[in-house]
Amino acid sequence: MKTKISARDFSLILSLVAIWVFFAVASPQYLSARNLSALSVELAITATLALGMLLVILPGHIDLSVGSGVGLIGGIATVLVFNHHWPAPLAFLPAIAIALLIWFAQGTLIVRERIPAFIITLGGLLIFKGAFWLVINTHTVPVAPGGRPNLFSLLTTYYLPPLASYALIALVLLALITVTLRGRKRRASLGFEIDDPELAFLKLFLTAQALLLFVLCVDQFRGIPLPVLVLGVAALVIQVITRHTPFGRHLYAIGGNEEAAFVSGVPVQRVVIGAYTLLGGIVAITGLLQTAYAGASTTTVGDSMELDAIAACVIGGTSLRGGRGTVLGVIFGALIMASLLNGMTLLAVSPELKFIARGVVLTLAVWMDVKLAKR
Amino acid sequence: MSAVLEARAITKRFPGVIALREVSFDLRPGEIHALCGENGAGKSTLIKLLSGLHPHGSYEGELLLDNHSVQFRSIADAQRHGIAVIYQELALIPELSIAENLFLGCEPRRGLLIDWEKLYTDARIILARVGLELSPETPVGQLGVGQQQLVEIAKALGKKTRILILDEPTAALAEREVEILLALLRDLRARGIACIYISHKLDEVFAVADRITVLRDGATISTHPTATTSKTRVIRDMVGREIKDLFPRTVPPVGDVLLRVDHISAAASPSAPARLHDLSFTVRAGEVLGIGGLMGAGRTELIMHIFGAWGLRLNGQVMIAGRALPAATPVEALAAGLAVVSEDRKRYGLVLDRDIGFNLSLSSLLRLRRGLLVDEEAEVRANQKFFSSLRVKAPSLETVVGTLSGGNQQKVVIGKALMTGPRVVFLDEPTRGIDVGAKLEVYELINRLTAEGRAVVLVSSELPELMGMSDRILMLHEGGLGGEFTRAEATPEKLLAAALGRRLAAA
Repeated sequence: MKTKISARDFSLILSLVAIWVFFAVASPQYLSARNLSALSVELAITATLALGMLLVILPGHIDLSVGSGVGLIGGIATVLVFNHHWPAPLAFLPAIAIALLIWFAQGTLIVRERIPAFIITLGGLLIFKGAFWLVINTHTVPVAPGGRPNLFSLLTTYYLPPLASYALIALVLLALITVTLRGRKRRASLGFEIDDPELAFLKLFLTAQALLLFVLCVDQFRGIPLPVLVLGVAALVIQVITRHTPFGRHLYAIGGNEEAAFVSGVPVQRVVIGAYTLLGGIVAITGLLQTAYAGASTTTVGDSMELDAIAACVIGGTSLRGGRGTVLGVIFGALIMASLLNGMTLLAVSPELKFIARGVVLTLAVWMDVKLAKR
Repeated sequence: MSAVLEARAITKRFPGVIALREVSFDLRPGEIHALCGENGAGKSTLIKLLSGLHPHGSYEGELLLDNHSVQFRSIADAQRHGIAVIYQELALIPELSIAENLFLGCEPRRGLLIDWEKLYTDARIILARVGLELSPETPVGQLGVGQQQLVEIAKALGKKTRILILDEPTAALAEREVEILLALLRDLRARGIACIYISHKLDEVFAVADRITVLRDGATISTHPTATTSKTRVIRDMVGREIKDLFPRTVPPVGDVLLRVDHISAAASPSAPARLHDLSFTVRAGEVLGIGGLMGAGRTELIMHIFGAWGLRLNGQVMIAGRALPAATPVEALAAGLAVVSEDRKRYGLVLDRDIGFNLSLSSLLRLRRGLLVDEEAEVRANQKFFSSLRVKAPSLETVVGTLSGGNQQKVVIGKALMTGPRVVFLDEPTRGIDVGAKLEVYELINRLTAEGRAVVLVSSELPELMGMSDRILMLHEGGLGGEFTRAEATPEKLLAAALGRRLAAA
């Protein structure tokens, strides 16, 4: 598509800058390499979950159960590793399988029995929370027995070494340039409008600057954190799914006009169940990451993550009515949420105030969405 | 005579398009002034401007009310000045009673509470003015479309309206209801209410209008008193050319049976009574089968049921080119070679806030695959083919469908259906709400489809269209077969009698 920078995009960038300036002034550590590295891990976890959420919001549904799901799936893997001494990779498999199964079942209930997603997943929120506490027996279960690092704990403590990080970013940039050039050429040959060369160059240049700056920062600490790579892969996969597969187009069509999609031969039920199942996979990945980041499975892992994910989607321009939303927008929304939460943690803001801040941001984001939909 | 409402040299620009250029229009007191033009000619834009939907400042030129310049900031503003618009899509709430709808938002009050007694008494008076003999307590959902239209007009009259604008009011009405509506308009005219009447149906325009203004490509082409002009003249002004033959059906040689429907009965749900009763028919390659009937006869249900998008099969079976199509879903029906162009294109046809390309290829994505991905080169090529062969008037494939005129939206829906390469095409009211020029394009398309050896099922509530374009005609009556006629046998009287469930003595 041709680039259009709306007032909305602009105000988002402004709010992000405002958040960063505010916390940088309030706490000198906010922009330290160590904290930025931590912030990038938190961003990666929130954004990955939010991308999964995007898949079900696009066709006009919602999922309130992902936060509890994150705790439960992480808990299952932890208990297998710590209590039953399974090797970490082996413990991941049943955890992921269970997540896929649960979300397949939720999706099926929603479309086949026509129960609103809001209700089904609200039930899921409570059920998974209870199941989670049963699984870990309401204890704190470490992810690495005896503090010896295993694959589980490495999920959030492994860093791609600085040199390798530079190499990876160079590759990513090269790929970006190639894809942009080829895309322009193709659009031009098909007779579509394309960006001015200057604008296209500026976009690439800014992207490159941002990526380089990011690597410079994290390399001063230990390199690119593994969760950021996970996010990169997840974003790429979901970008391809939503933009370039029939399944993805169908998601947008269902969200835009479900009746028309049905009459146009979109297998509505299969597509929605597929979206929920994919979300299950994302919940599993996020569950493992978040639990590893916490270092142990405790009763609070995953708390209100569903709201952060929904907020990230909505801030990033996803319509809760469905039919509108992009991968890049969602990642940007997650960046705003993560920057805010990380800053508050750094300032040792009380949990009470953190809840209130989250609520205000979510409300503002939805309010913006509604105002935008009216126009 | 001076005008009550006048538009002077109005120019309205949208990004990339000029919708109106230097349009002038005047409405005299107590006149019915018809506005005619093809889809996209600028009628709707002009109406939106007169009704305040496009506020002052978003266009160039001047609006005058009683010779004084006015600047409408909003719809409410225009309403305060006595202008009311009745749109094609009805804006009534089906669950509320007639009276509640009439006073929605301006309920008479006693203190904080609604004065129900006054509300119902006043409602009765207003209903009498439009000649509706119904209890004001009747829920609007129980009324027919025609009666609802009258309630809409009554609602406008309740707000001290002096200028009534009707946008395609008869598109969904049966003949008898149209007559009631036209009589009401004449009655209102006698009481000094001026009316702008937009319609594609020239018979009605000539029956009711005092003057006719024709718009084409955003410009005023002509304004004439009805008495001194003719239909031929108006059509020529609208399309810029003469249309000699309104129904140019050419019959190709027919081939094998492509669609065979055997003793189909169906109901809306397991608990509902049967809606379609024991229907059987066949359609051959190269043939156009017309399906007619009164509103509620089950025409749309029949084709949507065959397509797998409506109801539950109680009995019977469908064969496509000799192979049985079980009680299907649209996915399977499309795969078997059926395609539907639905009558309600906004509801069942289009994803309005997506672009033309997205909508055109929506039904064909599963075929346009390379591996797991959409083959985007092939998709764009297919989109461009239908975009240009159907002559969709839009800047590019990336134009959002919701911004197109009705006729062009219809072309997108038709293109989407045809891209699936169907052997049997169901067209449900394909010319409803579109203008003469676009209608002709649809008819020519039907000829092309049958010449290519496809079968066409044409559902229409307009008898001339049914008789002009069909090779055989099936009339439905209350979900059952009312009669079947060849093109040669069909007369309006016979068709109507069959639709009413009576048989005329064999001619």
